[in-house]
Amino acid sequence: MTLTWAEKYRPKRLSEIVGNKAAVKEFLDWIQGWEGGRPSKKSALLHGPPGVGKTSTVYAYALERGLDVVEVNASDYRTRERIENVIGMASQSATLSGLRNRIILVDEVDGIDSRADTGAVNSLIKAISESRIPIVLVANDPWDQRLAPLREKCLMIKFNRIPKPSIASHLRKIADAEKMKISDNMIRIIAEKSGGDLRSAINDLQALADSGGFLTTEVLGERERERDVFTAVATVFSSRDIQTALSAFEGLDLEPSDFHTWLMDNLPERLTNPRDLARAMDRLARADIHLQRVLTTQRWDLLKYAIAVMTAGVGLLVGRAGGGRLGFPSKIRYMGQTRAERAALTSASVKIAGKCHLSASKARTEMLPYIAFIMAKSPAKGLRDFFSLEENEVKYMTARYTTSPKKSGA
Amino acid sequence: MLPWVEKYRPKTLDEIVNQEDVIASLKNIISTKSVPHMLFTGPPGTGKTATAHAFAHDLYGANYLSDGLFVEINASDERGIDVIRERVKTYARSVPFSGIGFRLLLLDECDQLTDAAQHAFRRTMEQFSNTCRFILAANYSNRIIEPIQSRCVVLRFKPLTKDAVGRALTRIAENENVKISESGVDAIYEFSLGDMRKAINMLQSAATISRSVDEKTVYTVMGHIERGLVRRMIDMSVSGDFKGARELLRELIYLNGVSPSDIISSISREIYGLQISDLDKIELVDALGETDFRIASGGTPEVQLLAFLAKLASKKVMVR
Repeated sequence: MTLTWAEKYRPKRLSEIVGNKAAVKEFLDWIQGWEGGRPSKKSALLHGPPGVGKTSTVYAYALERGLDVVEVNASDYRTRERIENVIGMASQSATLSGLRNRIILVDEVDGIDSRADTGAVNSLIKAISESRIPIVLVANDPWDQRLAPLREKCLMIKFNRIPKPSIASHLRKIADAEKMKISDNMIRIIAEKSGGDLRSAINDLQALADSGGFLTTEVLGERERERDVFTAVATVFSSRDIQTALSAFEGLDLEPSDFHTWLMDNLPERLTNPRDLARAMDRLARADIHLQRVLTTQRWDLLKYAIAVMTAGVGLLVGRAGGGRLGFPSKIRYMGQTRAERAALTSASVKIAGKCHLSASKARTEMLPYIAFIMAKSPAKGLRDFFSLEENEVKYMTARYTTSPKKSGA
Repeated sequence: MLPWVEKYRPKTLDEIVNQEDVIASLKNIISTKSVPHMLFTGPPGTGKTATAHAFAHDLYGANYLSDGLFVEINASDERGIDVIRERVKTYARSVPFSGIGFRLLLLDECDQLTDAAQHAFRRTMEQFSNTCRFILAANYSNRIIEPIQSRCVVLRFKPLTKDAVGRALTRIAENENVKISESGVDAIYEFSLGDMRKAINMLQSAATISRSVDEKTVYTVMGHIERGLVRRMIDMSVSGDFKGARELLRELIYLNGVSPSDIISSISREIYGLQISDLDKIELVDALGETDFRIASGGTPEVQLLAFLAKLASKKVMVR
């Protein structure tokens, strides 16, 4: 049976633990107290979100020192007797043999069901106070009222979410060790999505590798698409080499033309020098030509030119991180804000076209502005009836002539 | 109240102004009852559509529409050539019971059809020419493919002269109890040139703010209606407010529905007057030509024009 990567690459030494250096140090100080026979507290409660290295810390230490770990899952062994038996046996055998060669690990302490496991907490407390060997408790959320007496007996050691760059670089090491080909961007996306959970990130990486490249990050589960796009845009703008810029688009679940809009609308935030902006905008205009050729000829092999010019072509001109805040494309906002108005003007144009022997597009530019002005400046019910205009069509048509010029121009 | 462009739309060939040669040809055609396919070309507002209707009126009589002897299809509104062919087929298939033995079909704005669509339409024209005669209308004959032109009698409509516009405006004003001064006519012509539709629209708009239309009234109205958006967009760009210019460009394209080619023509009129060096002006003219060509060959108008505005924003303003 092959090991999952999460198991295969579980840290073998404390120095291999990713992140949470302070917590690991605290753990080490505490357990070294046991070696001297005088621990500050008899038990330690390692708490924090999943996949941040709580259990791994215990195992890594045990491996380093050649100790056995007796693992009790608190939410599996629910009864008080069971906890007493396992802990008691392990603890006593250590005493009897005279060898301090064991660590008891009680996982998922916060999973103890208060109704079904009456006394479980008390039996844990009892076991802790009697134990001659280290008992390490692990919990995601130790702040339940029921666990209060337990907390008093334990050294509370807090583990934090692992920073995404640390996750990403760890994933890269694993991918390289597995000879897996994956872009930096894809790794970044997995790290982003992990929410600081290294184990799930490694699982995702393996799932991606096992799928032979068919699995996209989309399939890996829920993720925040927008955040991915922001990352991709930031990657393009900060890239100093072609590969990094190109990789930004890989694995992004977005049409090339939509990504183009994101880049185009955010570019002025990052490039304030007008000359640089003009050059970069021209690259985007070139990329647009390539994109349109793809669409009109359906020659998808041409897409590579569009992608290269819009990512690397633009990125190398910006070439640094930082600058203004990236945002949702202003075009998308604009189209959203004007949707009702555009729909009303379009339907009004069609009505006018039907009466004035024009196409709708010509009616919009040649007739509508005048009809609108006349309706705004005079009681022109006749016009409204003549074109069968609805109230909201009239409202949007006349708005620009009834509000102050300053406002309508904005 | 009616839109005056409709209220005063000419009904018969005799009411069409400024197109004496065209009208003479058409009257000759009517007298011989031998009607060819025809291509009407000319700038907007010169009377192409009105003349087609007037021709049908004079040929078939006042009930030409209700008798089902004339139909008007706008090529740029119909979705694709297939839709047009279907409509043409169902219309042209049957021979009318009475009269000359064929109907008339006006295909308006047919320069909006692609070359491929025009070729397809050419076959349709031939297929149904026994029962249906076609009048095609377009702004520019050079956008109509040669095989269609060669099958049509081409009639060219001229931009209206100031006299023709002035006479028409004066007649309408009298009828509507509005006074229009000579300076009012001058101002309207300055904006509308030979486009009668625009001139009449301007007169009606001006009449809503004053029953006495003069130069000032016209300028006030046109200030509201045209708003100089392109000019303001250019000024913003040159002064470095790229994002402001971007907003105005979107208003022009998406709200006002101004065609990219019209925006480009407006920009090209402004370039030489900018406060930048002559070298920069030429560079911008070059860039605008490129923008124009790219859009014509399928580039996204907003993207291409934004790139141009960014270039504009990079030019140094000369202080005089």
